[in-house]
Amino acid sequence: MATPEVGAGETRPPAQRPQGRMEGISQASARIPFKLKVAVVWIVIFLVLAFLFNAADFDTQFMRDRADFVLKGLTYTILIALASIVLAVVLALLGALGRLSRNPVAYGVSGFYASFFRGTPLIVQLFLITFALPVIVGNLGLPQSFEELLTLDPFVAGIVGLGLNYGAYMTEIFRAGIQSVSHGQTEAADALGMTYPQKMKRVVLPQAFRVIIPPTGNEFIAMMKDTALVGFLGVVVAQAEIFRRAQLVAAADFKPIEAYLLAAGMYWALTAVFTFFQSRLERRISKGYVRGGTTTAKEKKAQFMSASAAGGAGGGAGMAEIDTEEDVSGPELKGQGH
Amino acid sequence: MRKFRFRSILVLVAALSLVAAACGGDDEPTEPAGGATGGTTGTGACADADTAAGDLLAQICSDGVIRVSTDPAYPPQSSLNPETGEYEGFDIDVATEIANRLGATIEWETPKWEAIIAGNWQGRWDMSVGSMTVTAERAEVLDFTPAYYFTPASIAVSEGSEISSADGLDGMTVGVCSGCTYDFFLQGSLDIPGFEFPPPPAGITVKGYDTDTTAFQALESGQVDAVMSATPTIQAAIDKGRPMQLLGEPLFSEPLSVAFDKSSEVDQASLVEAVSGIVEEMHGDGTLSDMSMEWYGEDITIDPSTG
Repeated sequence: MATPEVGAGETRPPAQRPQGRMEGISQASARIPFKLKVAVVWIVIFLVLAFLFNAADFDTQFMRDRADFVLKGLTYTILIALASIVLAVVLALLGALGRLSRNPVAYGVSGFYASFFRGTPLIVQLFLITFALPVIVGNLGLPQSFEELLTLDPFVAGIVGLGLNYGAYMTEIFRAGIQSVSHGQTEAADALGMTYPQKMKRVVLPQAFRVIIPPTGNEFIAMMKDTALVGFLGVVVAQAEIFRRAQLVAAADFKPIEAYLLAAGMYWALTAVFTFFQSRLERRISKGYVRGGTTTAKEKKAQFMSASAAGGAGGGAGMAEIDTEEDVSGPELKGQGH
Repeated sequence: MRKFRFRSILVLVAALSLVAAACGGDDEPTEPAGGATGGTTGTGACADADTAAGDLLAQICSDGVIRVSTDPAYPPQSSLNPETGEYEGFDIDVATEIANRLGATIEWETPKWEAIIAGNWQGRWDMSVGSMTVTAERAEVLDFTPAYYFTPASIAVSEGSEISSADGLDGMTVGVCSGCTYDFFLQGSLDIPGFEFPPPPAGITVKGYDTDTTAFQALESGQVDAVMSATPTIQAAIDKGRPMQLLGEPLFSEPLSVAFDKSSEVDQASLVEAVSGIVEEMHGDGTLSDMSMEWYGEDITIDPSTG
């Protein structure tokens, strides 16, 4: 919010006469919809990128030929991300309950878990799980079957590593979500004589999930990009995700830049799709909590825009803006499932 | 009291779910790697092997499958053919022929190179046919067959570079794959029993990259002044249109062997012996020479130290 003010302050003093012209321009500009202006900015950016791409003289034939092969990794990229987020959600829930617990064991274990997995790089964790775990277990003199069990396939090691790492970050999200539920709610549950599991299951968690789900979606989108790290663990072609496949075609033809651009494009498209659904999900979840009954559509729109301007970064604000009209007709949709 | 128990159980479940995740994965059927597989002859070395011995060779013979590690980031030794989805290269052909003569089919594993040279394979694969140089360090954790070929090593510079000889590298930066023999050579610490090397070029700074391919890219983007790699690898990159050129004659040749894990829990001695015999046989009947001609355009299977 500070930036436009600084800009305006700079241009004002010397602009006695130009001010009139500036005003004219801004008045004319005000008539052009914001959406249209943003679209123009994007088009200009893409034109510049296209020019740079062309000037760099990349081997586009290679990229076209190999696109199919690299794209086949999409299944595994999504598979790894889905399996990992499921594991992460389970761990985050347990971790959060541990962090909120007064049991020293639960509190200590969850504290160690969050500290270690947030405090070390993901790639280091993946290497430790894949390569160090079997050696450690082997040296403990445990039965052979146990050792084989913990000699993880890179694909499985990737899921376990991503799940553990993201679970640790999401522990904080879950903890905040649970704590955001009003104290009166837990007191009421206690007053009704509910046990701890009953209270959590019937009162606290359902309300906490409204707060938890949007950032969890964000974590999922971030995780889809981090699945690329699994490519460093040495997966076989049949289980290779996008980045590993890009690495392989890069090595085969000595064309790393083209191959990685290809991979970058695919990750971007993938996350763009999921970001779109994420923003819709977020609005749907918050629908029941927006006071829309007495406000007019116009007021709602203004409210929504100021909210997205304050909270949205980059494309997020633009995305929210584009969907505002649909949101205005929101009240009828209230209560529909998702 | 009740709530405390519930929370402790939760933590326990957290620990168990990890183990469960590990089990779940292990039970998944391993998809066959898209690789060239040798046809089972049912004869070969396995015909003579004592399948009741319970050692690694006996296991391989009774399963009819040998698991071989390869790093498909090193054409023309091993790379992926995206058209067919199969691995191809000199090492792939050699491994396939070894498996054929054993009487087993190949299942490919693609661990990281560092994991192969470190030994302690935990039985994940049986054999490495990966153009591995027999350094003194590696010989401590791995068993080797006699060399199956001898790869020349060269330095390459950008196309049209003013550097014309190894002497011109003084003050320059050389890119190399981290932890590979060329890295050791440039740092002056390469030790291959029975082999002598010229001293590394004087006055250079060594920059390590994850693979040779990345080092080549660094040369192209001007981050290094030269790269060192296997001559065939550099030649393959030049053939694929990378703007680089070889700097003079190869600096040395190094022996490359098939490797086995010394720490294997199942006795691997008879397998090492059987494969060593096969390698000698392939030298003798010209199979290796033919493969070398096919992939490198010259015969580099003859020991340079003996002639």
